[in-house]
Amino acid sequence: MFLEIKDLSVKIENKNILKSLNLNINKGEVHAIMGPNGSGKSTLANVLAGKEDYEILNGKINFKDNDLFDLNIEERAQEGMFLAFQYPVEIPGVNITPFLHSAINSKRKRMNEDEIDNLSFAKLLKSKASDLGINIDMLKRSVNVGFSGGEKKRYEILQMSILNPDLAILDETDSGLDIDALKIVTDGVNKLKTKDNSFLIITHYQKLLDYIKPDYVHVMVNGSIVKSGGSEIAAEIEKEGFQKFQ
Amino acid sequence: MNIQDNYQKNKKNIFFSENKNVENHRKKLISIFENDKFDKKNNESLKNTNLKNFFDFKYKYLVPEEKSVINNHHDNSYSIVCVNGQCSSFKDDKIQITKIIEGDYIDFSKNNTIEKNDHFVNLNSLFLNCGFKIIIKKNNNIKIKISNIVTDDELTIFQKNNFICEEGSSLNLIEEYENKNNSTSNILNVIKLEKNTQLNHFLIQDNSPSHNLIITSHSSCKKDSTYTQKVYNFSEGYVRNFHFSELIELNSEADLQGIFFLKDNNTSNNKTFVKHLAEDCKSNQVYKGILNDHSKATYFSNTYVDQVAQKTEGYQLSKGILLSDNASYFSKPELKIYADDVKCSHGSTIGPIDENAIFYLRSRGMSKIAATKILISSFINEELSSIDDKQMSQIIQKKLVRYLSKVK
Repeated sequence: MFLEIKDLSVKIENKNILKSLNLNINKGEVHAIMGPNGSGKSTLANVLAGKEDYEILNGKINFKDNDLFDLNIEERAQEGMFLAFQYPVEIPGVNITPFLHSAINSKRKRMNEDEIDNLSFAKLLKSKASDLGINIDMLKRSVNVGFSGGEKKRYEILQMSILNPDLAILDETDSGLDIDALKIVTDGVNKLKTKDNSFLIITHYQKLLDYIKPDYVHVMVNGSIVKSGGSEIAAEIEKEGFQKFQ
Repeated sequence: MNIQDNYQKNKKNIFFSENKNVENHRKKLISIFENDKFDKKNNESLKNTNLKNFFDFKYKYLVPEEKSVINNHHDNSYSIVCVNGQCSSFKDDKIQITKIIEGDYIDFSKNNTIEKNDHFVNLNSLFLNCGFKIIIKKNNNIKIKISNIVTDDELTIFQKNNFICEEGSSLNLIEEYENKNNSTSNILNVIKLEKNTQLNHFLIQDNSPSHNLIITSHSSCKKDSTYTQKVYNFSEGYVRNFHFSELIELNSEADLQGIFFLKDNNTSNNKTFVKHLAEDCKSNQVYKGILNDHSKATYFSNTYVDQVAQKTEGYQLSKGILLSDNASYFSKPELKIYADDVKCSHGSTIGPIDENAIFYLRSRGMSKIAATKILISSFINEELSSIDDKQMSQIIQKKLVRYLSKVK
């Protein structure tokens, strides 16, 4: 199993958010989690990425034969996990090029691969940015500073395409995107899909799933997955809302 | 030993003690010391200060055996090695360097309107034992680098320097303070900018833990002149940076900036004060600090706008990153505005490093320590990237790397 979440319960500030959650993802699969506001979707994404604000009450997570709780945040990223943030953080004064260059090399180092040199990295970044319709001048700016909502999400996908993760978690990547930006972003995701990597897509709406076809759709309500199935569930939610699952 | 005894005992080594006017002024200073309660709560010049260290000291001054060195590099740049506050005399068609004279002392004492309650400045006036005067002659554009060297342990340097930029001149002044002994340097710079002049003043401070540096500057700007000051404090010993500017004529500007990097038990006290006394003047006061371990800092910024100073623009900003729960940074911005057509603002943000930014960077594979260092560098990126002088930029970068290497 590529990612196995077993009986996971999580709380933050005395509030139980995830309750005995189970989820299995195999290599090459695309899973979507849909759920109403406050159901715990983003908490799941943050816990997987290693955010330290949460208290793990119970459960286990295995990722690529590692106990995920034995890995810190950067080790998870270096092992191939990537979180595309719902609200990417603005970091004034940090340019994306040296930051991503350093990130990719820390991953390569862990994998015992040679570091990528400045010139090769610049070429890679330029080509990936061009695929996502990101202006080269924007690469000279500080991370996410002064970007529109759509630009931030495109930047997340750019980072994902550079780091080429084994498991990408997209936390409401569609929010704040107009239809053209949604197409560019989802094209970028689809280009990355191979039989060797997996995706966990968190969304409220079916629209995103029209562009990225999931193998499985899960409905999350009140911290647990209450229903799993194929794309038909997304259509059902679009038609009837989340009410019937609560 | 009290201040009076200390002064009487060492009077013969102190500048201008034979001058009656100076003596009268010093009597007044002694009486201020004797009658003051040294109220650390209400006197900003005393906050976070070890009073015993600075006001109950053993006076010691040595005239340097080696003379200071002045090199004229023939490209309008000069380098000066100033030893124990002394500088040799020098003159060419662009600059003139001399010892300070009694007239400079009296002139400053009479006209020092900004801060009468600053005990460190009073101490400097009382025990003055060295200093120099540099005049940049009319319409010259030059660069001066001064290395301030203190030769021995336990010296008490009381130094007063005068910088005068004559009309139409421009000066890039770099001052370095890198001392490894347990001496104390109390330095007062009095800076006069005549009409249509520009002075870019950089102070690089990097003393060892036992060396104390108290540096005060009073600058005054006439019509169309600009005084820019940038302080880079990497010192491991105590540093006090108090800098005052008076914009006395139309269309003059003062830009007072500072960055300090503190660790261990170190303390730094900082103050900037700009007085707008004429129309159409601009000022900027920005200090940023990074504090680790048990370090402490204060920053007081003040803008005073006189009723005649219409169309004033005055900005203040203070920012701090606390890398440890035990570090503290006290910041107090103040504005006193007596004109009605002004644009003024102030802001202060101090706190730990942004945990969300750390999480974001780590989630891309960067270690926590690398993420912390990149965020510290980004915090001062604007100040570092604005350094035009390549050599100075490299010096500052090197010191920053040294500071960051100790961040765990």
